[in-house]
Amino acid sequence: MKESFKLAGDDELVKASLDGDKLAFSEIVNRYRKMVARTVKGMLGDSVYSEDIGQEVFVNLYNSLPGFRGEAKLSTYIQRIAINLTLNEIKRRKRFFSMFSHKGSDEMSEYEIADPENEEKREAKEVVNKALMSLNPKFRIIVAMRLLQGYSTKETAEILDLPLGTVLSRHSRAQEQLKEILEKL
Amino acid sequence: MKSPEIKKLMRDSLDGKSDAGNIPGSLELAGISYDFNEGFTEKVMRRLSGASLTIVRDTEFKSSLNFAFYRIALTGAAAIIILMISIFIMQDSFSFNSFLGLGDSYDESIVYLLTGN
Repeated sequence: MKESFKLAGDDELVKASLDGDKLAFSEIVNRYRKMVARTVKGMLGDSVYSEDIGQEVFVNLYNSLPGFRGEAKLSTYIQRIAINLTLNEIKRRKRFFSMFSHKGSDEMSEYEIADPENEEKREAKEVVNKALMSLNPKFRIIVAMRLLQGYSTKETAEILDLPLGTVLSRHSRAQEQLKEILEKL
Repeated sequence: MKSPEIKKLMRDSLDGKSDAGNIPGSLELAGISYDFNEGFTEKVMRRLSGASLTIVRDTEFKSSLNFAFYRIALTGAAAIIILMISIFIMQDSFSFNSFLGLGDSYDESIVYLLTGN
């Protein structure tokens, strides 16, 4: 990979990608893959489907780059794509489970990949994943944005394109729901 | 970090007292990090190359279809013009009857031809 792209700013990478430079786009993928993984895996769990959705996020980004006007930060733009695709996947799963199962859940624990980390870390990750998966998706996204991405309520409102009041009310309801879930875990 | 500490961190993350920006860092220190499997970037790039190839094939097919359409349309237009010229030469007019091949028939003879009386 060109060393210059590693130091390049987002604007430069976008411009080079639009000019057809695949190396520039692969630098965007490398730069934001962890951020996308936090959103997708935080919302869907550590499943094989999360990998597919993650790929889909970057394919969608590539296809929509000509329409990216640079009004928002590239990270915000990618985050929006990731959230939209993740929420669509949750809806799709809900429809699927409501048709074929009484479980009615978007948990995919049976597909979880074995984690090579030590027991304590594995346990800690399991607590976070279980708590997130038990939350209503509407609240899960609010918690994931704060816990996994470190966004403030204002930034979350901006990314989700929701009024700040709505995010604040969901935030307090998510807080209540999370407290209950954590007590049971 | 043990699970009671993680639970406390999760609860505290939403109480508004803690700085939101520091929470992911604390989680990472506890070993909770998220990333895709190895070779993720390569898979994305392969998918993009596949998509570009499909677009190129699609464009090639459309341009071939356009070319074929123009050839067929031009041939058709030329055939119509030749037909009109030949009708004009044979019938000396461009009337509706001449187009139907009835240019030199009288109305009565048409009735005879159609009814047999």
